[in-house]
Amino acid sequence: MRRRGKSRTDFVRDLAIIGSGRHWLAVALALSLLALLPFVLRWTHNLNWLTFLNFTLLTVIAVLGLNITTGMAGQLSLGHAAFVLAGGYALGVFTVKLGWPFWGALPVATLLSGIAGFLVGIPALRLRGFYVAVTTLAFFYIIQFVVRNIEITGGIHGLIGIPYPYVGGLAIKSDIRWYFLLLVFCVLCILASVNLTRSRLGRAFLAIRDNEDAAANLGISVGLAKLRAFFIGALFGGLAGALWASYVSVVKLDQFTIWDSIWYLGMMVIGGAGSTAGTVLGVIALRLTSQVLHSIGSSGLIPLSSNLTIYMTYAIFGIAIILFISFRPFGLIAMWQKLKANYKRWPFGT
Amino acid sequence: MPQINTIVQLIISGVLVGGIYSLIAMGFVITYRSARVFNLAYGQFAVLGAFLAWTFIGPPGSPRLPLPLAVFLIIVSAVGLGLLVEFLFFRRMIGRPLFASFMLSLGLLALLHGTIMLVWGPESRVLGATVPKGPLFLGKFVLAREYLWSFGLALVATLGFVYLFRRTRIGLAMRAAYDNQVAARCLGVSARLNSQIAWVICILVATIGGVLIATVNGVSIGLSELVLLVLAVVLVGGLDSLVGCVLGGLILAIGSNFTSYYLSQYLVGVESIVSVSLMLLVLLIRPDGLMGIKMIKRV
Amino acid sequence: MDQPADIILAIENLSLGFRGLKALDGVGLSARKGETISVIGPNGAGKTCLINCITGYYRPREGCILYRGRNIIGMKPHQIARLGIGRTFQDPTTFPHMKGLDILMAGRYLHTRTSLLEGLLFFGRSRAEELASRQRVEEIVAFARIEEVRKVPVLAMTYGQRKQVEIARVMAMGPGLVLLDEPMSGLDEFMKEVVNELILDMRQRNITIILIEHDMRAVMELSDRVVVLDHGKKIAEGTPTEIMRDEQVAEAYLGGLSYEREAA
Ligand SMILES: Nc1ncnc2c1ncn2[C@@H]1O[C@H](COP(=O)(O)OP(=O)(O)O)[C@@H](O)[C@H]1O
Ligand SMILES: [Mg+2]
Repeated sequence: MRRRGKSRTDFVRDLAIIGSGRHWLAVALALSLLALLPFVLRWTHNLNWLTFLNFTLLTVIAVLGLNITTGMAGQLSLGHAAFVLAGGYALGVFTVKLGWPFWGALPVATLLSGIAGFLVGIPALRLRGFYVAVTTLAFFYIIQFVVRNIEITGGIHGLIGIPYPYVGGLAIKSDIRWYFLLLVFCVLCILASVNLTRSRLGRAFLAIRDNEDAAANLGISVGLAKLRAFFIGALFGGLAGALWASYVSVVKLDQFTIWDSIWYLGMMVIGGAGSTAGTVLGVIALRLTSQVLHSIGSSGLIPLSSNLTIYMTYAIFGIAIILFISFRPFGLIAMWQKLKANYKRWPFGT
Repeated sequence: MPQINTIVQLIISGVLVGGIYSLIAMGFVITYRSARVFNLAYGQFAVLGAFLAWTFIGPPGSPRLPLPLAVFLIIVSAVGLGLLVEFLFFRRMIGRPLFASFMLSLGLLALLHGTIMLVWGPESRVLGATVPKGPLFLGKFVLAREYLWSFGLALVATLGFVYLFRRTRIGLAMRAAYDNQVAARCLGVSARLNSQIAWVICILVATIGGVLIATVNGVSIGLSELVLLVLAVVLVGGLDSLVGCVLGGLILAIGSNFTSYYLSQYLVGVESIVSVSLMLLVLLIRPDGLMGIKMIKRV
Repeated sequence: MDQPADIILAIENLSLGFRGLKALDGVGLSARKGETISVIGPNGAGKTCLINCITGYYRPREGCILYRGRNIIGMKPHQIARLGIGRTFQDPTTFPHMKGLDILMAGRYLHTRTSLLEGLLFFGRSRAEELASRQRVEEIVAFARIEEVRKVPVLAMTYGQRKQVEIARVMAMGPGLVLLDEPMSGLDEFMKEVVNELILDMRQRNITIILIEHDMRAVMELSDRVVVLDHGKKIAEGTPTEIMRDEQVAEAYLGGLSYEREAA
């Protein structure tokens, strides 16, 4: 039967991120589990996993940005790591060299990275597809070159002694405190990303991804939309980089390489390009894989040197990307949705 | 004036190196032109070729196999690899969006990188004799014999390509497939055969290029940076033009010769940034490359 | 030329060429407010090119296009869309991966003002505008009978649904002038009826429509006037009944030439 018309309350609910009471319950449960997690880890003497969680949260923030530029707006970016790098270096320069406080430097560093994104978007205005990818790649190397050759960024040695933040008099120094700070940032970024998908701009991004020409006939200025996509993506990347720099208290050139750009793309694709939840899933999946490989390598179960573990990780990430692109192009999130749909229909088959 | 001599010397060696660059770039262009794959794993294919060559030929002085046999084995393994890569990965990409093949090539890049490092490790190795080496004095100028040889080989291969694309049936089929894979199939062009030939040629050329460069620089994973150079060459020249490849190769080789001669003591890493900025510049001014044709957009 | 005040679209002497080919050759056309004008002609006559010129995708070599008295030649497609000119595309797979609802909501782009920051924070205008847009979109969804494809990406829709969504998208834009490029081609009788209804509804809302269509029954029923193109030239113009009787038109459609061209 066709359902005709919908009551107003229905689309209010449609608009909400968390639609139903059950959904609320699930989110509350998940959040409290996440809040309890570090204590469980401490109790079971697995604190090294906390470092893993913190880097995962940072990566989620960065890849959410890439998902906006590439996943939603379709602008292939091989230079996303450059925005993370820019954010990290900006924070380092402002705090270490200019003596700014962390909370003053963080928004400025983030914004500067966003502006860098905007600048990369300019050549992309006239270009499409691969050409955009190559532009961002070129940009990555140019940023790296600049950072290496100017004085204020500390050249090849980088910057050390980047201060940690204080929240209400509390020094965010230990892994556990960082975990909560990063968790808050990460949740906020996820919210912002979801909000984008339910606003006019997010839909404009989808439209230019699918068909630039037709998007123009919706009244969307394609050029401006591309610039905004790069801007917002770089904003997220810069935030991640700035927090990263403060978390590890140093920033160096080899912290963010072209490989990171590739992994970010891979995480996005494995999770499901264009989907916020998918992106989060993808980051977790790849990070978990690498952590497990690492644990196996260092546990001595199999005689693997640390280098070999790293090469294994490359190969396995590569295979994962190839398999997903070939057989599950819509990523983990689509698999999950299919599973859910089948579960609802049970026992009436697929 | 010694200055003039230096400049001529830089140009001559630039031309020789440029010839090699253009050959390597053609291997990239061929898969783009026949299968629309923007193959970012190209550099890794060159590295793989170089390592395979090292495995067969061995370090200098202690040849593992006689050179003709080694060359034969290298060619056979490159052809086999081409068929394998096409069969395992890219056959599924026919008719898929460009993003898919782009990501696939990135996945392949990572896979090859990891595998090469697992098998051969990160150390750089010296490759035994393939082509004659050493300086060749021509009046006031010095030429490297290996460059001269490489240039000759590159020239032959380039002419072979032009012949293939312009004069043979299969070349025509490949050009048709570039314009429209589905329509080309309707005209009886076999997409599979096409794509197989393209990949075999691609990997063969990558291998030749990898070996030629490894002859000079040694065999190491650092060779994979080649892909950046290839990108610069093809984008400066124009992605769909073989003549553009040659032009792009010459411009880049001569340009980087000059910058590294005059600037590298002041700026760290300036050689690698030259090609990248040149490419960016061309993209900004002439997005279709110097020799590319601007397509009329159809709405 | 002095024009009646209610002329919305006036095209004069429009010519467009691609290298050697003359796709449009001195075409003129004018439409009053609320009028529906059909443009017919054999394949390759230049009908789509005409629409592409009006919507700013192609730049004509000569001629002028006045929309509400303003020359729109040289304006970018999105600027023209902002004047209230909406169009459908001949191939209805316009946004292959977007879902039906998202496409219609994107159609409301020009009716919303939410800024970047408000969008990210979902604060201020964002929510109110979303609800208002959704309200209007739901009306169109119900009217265009596309409830089933709200959450379905275009690639998973049937051809007919894609055509429906394409028209619904233009309706959601709330335009003053609509250009429809073969909205019924490839549809069965039932779907043609559905599309027919949609066009009639737009007519009733006093929207000016330029309709490109091969289905003569629909053309007869819907249009106030018919313009016939062949080889980029306007060969006839008149009321539907006049056109049906015109010999030149019959020649263009049925004459050997067009058969040859289609076979080629
Ligand atoms: N972008 C383009 N480049 C070259 N020729 C074109 C282009 N767009 C249309 N044409 C040509 O213009 C003529 C008219 O095309 P079109 O307007 O699409 O015809 P139709 O009346 O069937 O819609 C055709 O011969 C077509 O091949
Ligand atoms: Mg047409």
